[in-house]
Amino acid sequence: MGKPRLAQPLDTTTEVETPEHVRFRYHVAGPGRRVFAYAIDLGIRALILLAFVIVAYVGGFAVDSIDASTGLVLIVWFALEWFYYVFWEALWSGRTPGKRALALRVLSDTGHPLRLGQSFLRNLLRAVDFWPMFHPSPIAAPALELPTYGVGIVSMSRDGRFRRLGDLVAGTMVVVEARAFVERALVIHPPPSARELASLPHRLPLSGDELDAVEVFLRREHKLPPARAHELAEMIAPTFGARIGIGSIQDPVRFLKVLYARARGIPAAPEHPQHHTPPPGPYGQHHQPVPFGSAGWRPPAPQGHWGPR
Amino acid sequence: MIVPQDQFVAARHRDWDELEQLLTRAVAMDKQDGFVISRIGSRYRSVCNDLAHAESAGYTPDLMAFLHSLAGRTHNLLYGAQPIRFMSALRFVLVEFPVALRKNWKLFALACALFLVPYAVGLVGAMTSREFAESVLPLPSIEQLEQAYAEGFSRGRETGQDTAMTGFYVFNNVGIAFRCFATGVIFGLGSIFFLVYNGLTIGAVTGWIMNAGHGANIWTFMCGHGPFEIIAIFISGGAGLQMGHALVATDGLTRFGSVRRYTRDITAQVAGAAVMLFIAAGIEGFWSPSSVPDQVKWIVGGVNLVIVVGFLAFAGRGAAKA
Repeated sequence: MGKPRLAQPLDTTTEVETPEHVRFRYHVAGPGRRVFAYAIDLGIRALILLAFVIVAYVGGFAVDSIDASTGLVLIVWFALEWFYYVFWEALWSGRTPGKRALALRVLSDTGHPLRLGQSFLRNLLRAVDFWPMFHPSPIAAPALELPTYGVGIVSMSRDGRFRRLGDLVAGTMVVVEARAFVERALVIHPPPSARELASLPHRLPLSGDELDAVEVFLRREHKLPPARAHELAEMIAPTFGARIGIGSIQDPVRFLKVLYARARGIPAAPEHPQHHTPPPGPYGQHHQPVPFGSAGWRPPAPQGHWGPR
Repeated sequence: MIVPQDQFVAARHRDWDELEQLLTRAVAMDKQDGFVISRIGSRYRSVCNDLAHAESAGYTPDLMAFLHSLAGRTHNLLYGAQPIRFMSALRFVLVEFPVALRKNWKLFALACALFLVPYAVGLVGAMTSREFAESVLPLPSIEQLEQAYAEGFSRGRETGQDTAMTGFYVFNNVGIAFRCFATGVIFGLGSIFFLVYNGLTIGAVTGWIMNAGHGANIWTFMCGHGPFEIIAIFISGGAGLQMGHALVATDGLTRFGSVRRYTRDITAQVAGAAVMLFIAAGIEGFWSPSSVPDQVKWIVGGVNLVIVVGFLAFAGRGAAKA
């Protein structure tokens, strides 16, 4: 038996086990989403600071005490710099406004909720993660330097769960909490004929993961140019064919479709009396699609898309 | 027995719809009424059940993704972050902080040395040679500082200026301490750099001002908040060194796994240092530059030192064994 099986699928998911002994998977958030969330939070922080600057200095001029205004603005700035994230992550259990907008949440890397100390630590470490600083113009005040998060991105790209240094030290991770939707059942078009289905054994030697991979491929097959779909299908179809003793496969895409229909128990298209049965022969030799028109073909009752989208 | 997927979905989707609706309403759990909470709890358990069933039945990936997402989001709502209790936060700073510091006393002592030795070098160097001071800091900044201390504080300052300076001390000094800790993640090197750098420059400035004949002014100014501020910077540097040391001495764990053994201690030390720095900033802004007589400032400075050292050395000793 050739290669060792991977204990975990090679994907951006991570599995956690809850106190109820249920395991479920999270999608960990990559740098892309997190940059957008960061940009939103940065904008909010800038607006809050700007609002305080305006209020403090207008008030300061009114009572003729600009120095006190400067002190206030510096304290607000400090709080926004070091405690903005801690504040929101504590209040909304692991989410800031930016993270909420992008359906992100910070969790402890065991899958448990984030604790205050962890949030404090991961956000202190931003001081290293956001290096090196970028100075938009040489004469700009130090206040205008922008973090590039170079260190954080290098750390994220080295880690299977996209953790920056702050996450690694505090033992946290950022997951995507986006809603998933059940899709409409995959429709095999044209539907498999009884003959096609009969050419495959009842019990297919396919693992669940392999079947999932076939489904993912078939779901995007219509978006691919036919030549590319053919090329991709050809990479796996002979492997599956060999297992069930089918040597030559003319049309690998069709083969995968029928294989999928067989495995999922999709029934054969009803035989139409006027219709001649497809010619006999080894699998996949009908080059013409079987001319089942709309009359003969009934789509399975839609079952997906419940709930608001 | 394996139920075909369509039948399974048809039988169960009403519960999922309901849970989805409850989740989209999701205000924090403590704001929900009891009926909703128990409803979410029971639906969560049934979704966990469905997930286990679907996993073994080998349903399609989209259904699995849907159930994983639903279970995950419900889990995070039900097990939201623990409420922050004032008493436990207080205990963290008053008990766990000094205990954690004493556990880390070797690296804390090293942090003190990493600041104080360059401080002495800077002080002596600047008192003996102007060129030395000028090579440590740019001349305009030193002269500006010299002027600031030339007058002394016998006449006090306007209150507006006090507020401004408090803001500046919070922004600058607490920031220095946090950076001194955070950069320890580079195997402790960042903490070493910031301790040595700050020790050397602050020593050079002190030496320069003493040379200019304003030594009494600067020492009187510093004695009130110094115990809080300088020791807090040592503590956060020591916590940074602890983090750096754990990254090197892994005892067979992964590097960050090794750091996470000390997470709670490190957090306690940095949080404690932050509280000390806020106290220091208040003193430094309002008390240190005030027109209170020098003798009183020195007495208060001494009392502060006793409070800080006594707290760090003795607080939480009884509780540590519990």
